[in-house]
Amino acid sequence: MDKVQMLQVLAASLFALGLTGVIIRRNVLVMLMCMELMLNGVNLSLATFAHNMGSAVGAVLVFLIFVVAAAEIAIAIPIVLLLVRRKRTLDIETYTDLKG
Amino acid sequence: MIREFLAHLDTLLIWAFAGCAFVSASLMLVLRRPMRVAIALVSCMVFLGGVYGLLGLHFIAAFQVLIYVGAVMVFMVYAIMLLDPRDESSGAHKYSKLFWAGIIGFALLAEALAVGYWNDLPHAPRGAAGEPFDILRFSEAFLSEYWLHFELTSVLLVAAVVAALAVIRENRRHDRG
Amino acid sequence: MGLLTLIVLLPLAGFLLNGLLGNRLGKGFVTAVGCGMPAIAFAVTIKCFLDLKGGGWAPLSEVAYVWTMVGQDTFEVAFWFDRLTAVMALIVTGVGTLIHIYSTGYMHEDKSYARYFAYLNLFLFFMLLLVLGKSLLVLFVGWEGVGLASYLLIGFWFGDMEKAAAGKKAFIVNRIGDAGFLLGMFVLYSAVGTLDMPKINAAFMGTPVPAVSASLVGILLFIGACGKSAQIPLYVWLPDAMAGPTPVSALIHAATMVTAGVYLVARMSGIYLHAPEASSVIAAVGALTALMAATIALAQDDIKKVLAYSTVSQLGFMFVAAGVGAYGVAVFHVYTHAFFKACLFLGAGSVIHAMSGEQDIKKMGGLARKIPITFVTFAIATAAIAGVPPLAGFFSKDEILWFALASDRGGSVLLVLVMAFTALLTAFYMFRLLWLTFFGKPRMLKEVEHHVHESPLSMTGVLMVLAVLSAVGGFLSIPHFLEPMVALPGVRPGMDAYHYWVVGGSVAIAAVGLGAAAYFFGGDASRAAAVKAGFTGVYRVLSNKYYVDELYDRVINRPLLWISDAIFLRVGDRFLIDGTLNGLASVAQRAAGRLSRVQTGSLHKYAFLVLVGMVASLVWMWRHG
Repeated sequence: MDKVQMLQVLAASLFALGLTGVIIRRNVLVMLMCMELMLNGVNLSLATFAHNMGSAVGAVLVFLIFVVAAAEIAIAIPIVLLLVRRKRTLDIETYTDLKG
Repeated sequence: MIREFLAHLDTLLIWAFAGCAFVSASLMLVLRRPMRVAIALVSCMVFLGGVYGLLGLHFIAAFQVLIYVGAVMVFMVYAIMLLDPRDESSGAHKYSKLFWAGIIGFALLAEALAVGYWNDLPHAPRGAAGEPFDILRFSEAFLSEYWLHFELTSVLLVAAVVAALAVIRENRRHDRG
Repeated sequence: MGLLTLIVLLPLAGFLLNGLLGNRLGKGFVTAVGCGMPAIAFAVTIKCFLDLKGGGWAPLSEVAYVWTMVGQDTFEVAFWFDRLTAVMALIVTGVGTLIHIYSTGYMHEDKSYARYFAYLNLFLFFMLLLVLGKSLLVLFVGWEGVGLASYLLIGFWFGDMEKAAAGKKAFIVNRIGDAGFLLGMFVLYSAVGTLDMPKINAAFMGTPVPAVSASLVGILLFIGACGKSAQIPLYVWLPDAMAGPTPVSALIHAATMVTAGVYLVARMSGIYLHAPEASSVIAAVGALTALMAATIALAQDDIKKVLAYSTVSQLGFMFVAAGVGAYGVAVFHVYTHAFFKACLFLGAGSVIHAMSGEQDIKKMGGLARKIPITFVTFAIATAAIAGVPPLAGFFSKDEILWFALASDRGGSVLLVLVMAFTALLTAFYMFRLLWLTFFGKPRMLKEVEHHVHESPLSMTGVLMVLAVLSAVGGFLSIPHFLEPMVALPGVRPGMDAYHYWVVGGSVAIAAVGLGAAAYFFGGDASRAAAVKAGFTGVYRVLSNKYYVDELYDRVINRPLLWISDAIFLRVGDRFLIDGTLNGLASVAQRAAGRLSRVQTGSLHKYAFLVLVGMVASLVWMWRHG
C-alpha cells in the first residue's frame, strides 16, 4: 500500500469514526466535534487527490470546505448556547422537542 | 543507513503522522471530559496539517492550522469552558442509548468501505506523480474557474455574521428579561 | 337596421335603460321610457303594416344576424312579417302600450316601479321576438323568454313566499311543455332539414311530403302549446299566476303570452293540415279544457281567479277552432279576446284598487254607482265575452261554434254541443261576477266603503279605449283578412242550412246566461245560496278546482322529492361522494399519523439512519458497479 492508498483509508476511517461518534456520544459539544472530524476526513481525501492528480480542483475544494466549516461552527455554537440555556443540560437525549 | 533513513523520511513521517491522527480520532470517542475530547481533536487536526504539508500542500496545511485549529477549535474550547459547569449530567453517562447500534454500524461501514477499497483501490496515476502543487495555479483556478463558489462562500459568511448578530440580540434580551 | 329589427329592439332598449338607470333617474324617466318604447314600437309596426299592404301583401323578411353555420346549414336570427304576424304584432304592441299606460297609475305607489317597467319591456321584447321570428329557433327563444319574463313578473313581489312559489310553478310547468316543443323541433329538423317556418310549411304543403309523421310533430308542438297556453294537463300555473300585479295578468295571461300557443298552431298550419290525428287531439283537448275551466269558474270567489279560469276556457275555444282547421277563426278569437279580457282584467284591477286590495267578490257589491266608469267598461267587456251582439266576442265565438259544427276537418254535433254548453256557462259565470261585484247592497267593511273611489285617468282612460275596442273590434273580419294565408275549412255537406241556427243559438245562449245570472244573483243572491246549499258536494269539488293540484302533488311531486332525497341525496351525495372524499382524507390522515412515528426527536437515531442509508448505498454501488 503506498501512501496515497493509506491516506485514502485513513480518510475513510476518520469519516467513519466521526459518524460513529455522532451516534454514540451524548454530549452535544462532543457531537459537534465529531462532525468536525467527519469534515476533516473528507478534507484529507480531497487533499490526497489534489496531490495525486496535480490539478488545483482538490485544493480549491479543501479551501472552500474550510470556509464553510468556519461559518458553520460560528452558527452552531451559538445555537447550542441558546439551546442549553433553555434546557439546562448538554445531554442530547433530552432534546426531543421535535418528536412526532 | 542514516542516508537511507533520510531518503525515506517523508514516507516515514507521513505514516507516523497518519497513525497519530488515527489514534487521536479514536481517542475522541473514548474520552469522558469534553475538554479532553477537544484536545484530542486539536491534535488530530495538527497531525493532519502535517500530512498536508508532507503532501506538498503547504498552503492548505497553513490554513488547516490557522482556520481549523486557530478559529474553529478555539471557539469550541470557549464554548466548552462556558457551558461545562452547567452540565449536571456531564459525568453520568458518556454514551447514548444507541451505543451498540453505533458500534455495529461502524463495523458495517468499515466493512463496506474496506470491501469497496479492496476491489477498487484508488492508486497513484500511471506515469509521473502529477505536477506538484503550485499556489499560482491554485489562486488562478480559485478566482477564475471557481469564482462562483468563492462568491457563494462570501455570502455564506455574511449570513453567518448576521446570524451571530441575531444571537447576540437574543442573548441580550434574555439577560435583560 | 331594418324596421322589423327595430320593432324588436325598442323594448329591449327600454328594458336596459329602465333596468340599469331607472332607479337613479326617477319615476318620470321610467314612465317616459317604459311607455314610450312600446308606443314607438306600435308606430313602427303600423308603418310595417302599411309597407306590407303597399307591397301587395308580399311578406317582409329581414335577417338581423347570422348566429352560426353548422356544415351546410345556416342558423340566423331573421324576422318575417306577413298578414298573421301583422295581426299578432299589432295586438302585442297596441294592447301592450295601453297596459303600460295603465300600469303607470296602478303601480304608482310601488317602490320597485323601475324594475316593473324593465320587466314589462323585457316581456314585450321576447313576445315580439316570438311573433316576428322567421324560424322555430327564434320563436323558441322568444317562447322561453316570455316564460322567464312571466316568472319575473308573477313573482314580482318576491318577499311573499306564496307569490314567489307561484312564479316558480309557472316557469316549471312551462318547461314541461317546452320539452315537447324541443322534441318536435328536433324531429322537424331531422326530417325537413330546416327550422325556417315558411320553408317547413311549404315542405308539408308541397310534394313529396317529408318522411315523418306530421301528427307526431303536430302533437309534440302542441304539448309545448299546452304548457304556454294553459291547456289540460298543464294549465295549473295560470290560476296561481294571479299572484302577480293585475296589469301583468292582463298583458301576459290574457292578451299576449298565453296566445303564443294558438299562434304557433296557426303559424304551422302547413303541418296541421296534413295531420288529422293531431288536429283531433287539439280539438278534443281544447273542448275538454274549455268545459272544465268554465265549471271551475262557476264556484270561484276571487275576482281574478274567475277571470283566470275564464282565460283558460277561452283558450280552449281557440284551440277547438284550430283543431277543426279554422286557424283564421282561432286568431280572430285571439284578437277579440285580447281586447275584452284585457279590459276585464284591468277593470278588476281598478275594482281592487278602489276596494283597497280586496279581491273576494263576496265582500263586494253595490259598486256600480260608486265607480261608474269601471262599471260601464266592465259591463261592456262582460257582454262581449258572453257573446252579446254586436260586440266583438259575439262574432268570434259565433264563428267558432259554426266551424265546430260544420268544418269538414273535424266538425261534429257533439263538439258544437259541448262548446255551446261551455258558452252558456261562460255567459252565466261572467254575469254572476258582474252582479256580485257591482250590484246589490254593499257587503264590505265600513272603512273600505269610505275609501271606494274611481281610479285615475291613466287607468280609466285605458279601460275606455279597450271597452270601445271590445265593442267595435268584431267588425274587422280577421278570418277573411287571413284567408289568403290560411284558408278556412270547407263546410260539411248538408250543414249550410244550419248556419242561422248557430247564430241564433249563440245569441240565445248569451241571453239565457244573462237572465239566469240576474235571476240567481240579483237582489241579495239568496236563490243562488239556496242552490249552493243543495249541491254542497259538487260545489266543494268545483271550488277546489277538482283537486287537480293535490293530485299532481301526490302523484308527481312527492315521488320526485322522495327519489331526490332518499336516492340522490342520501345514497349518491352523502354516502358515495362525500364518503369517498372523506374516506380518502381520513386514509391520508391515518397514514400520516402512522408515518410520523418515525420522528422520535432523537438525533442519535437520525444519525444512525444516515449511517444505515450510507452503508446501503455503498453496498449497492459497489455491487452494481
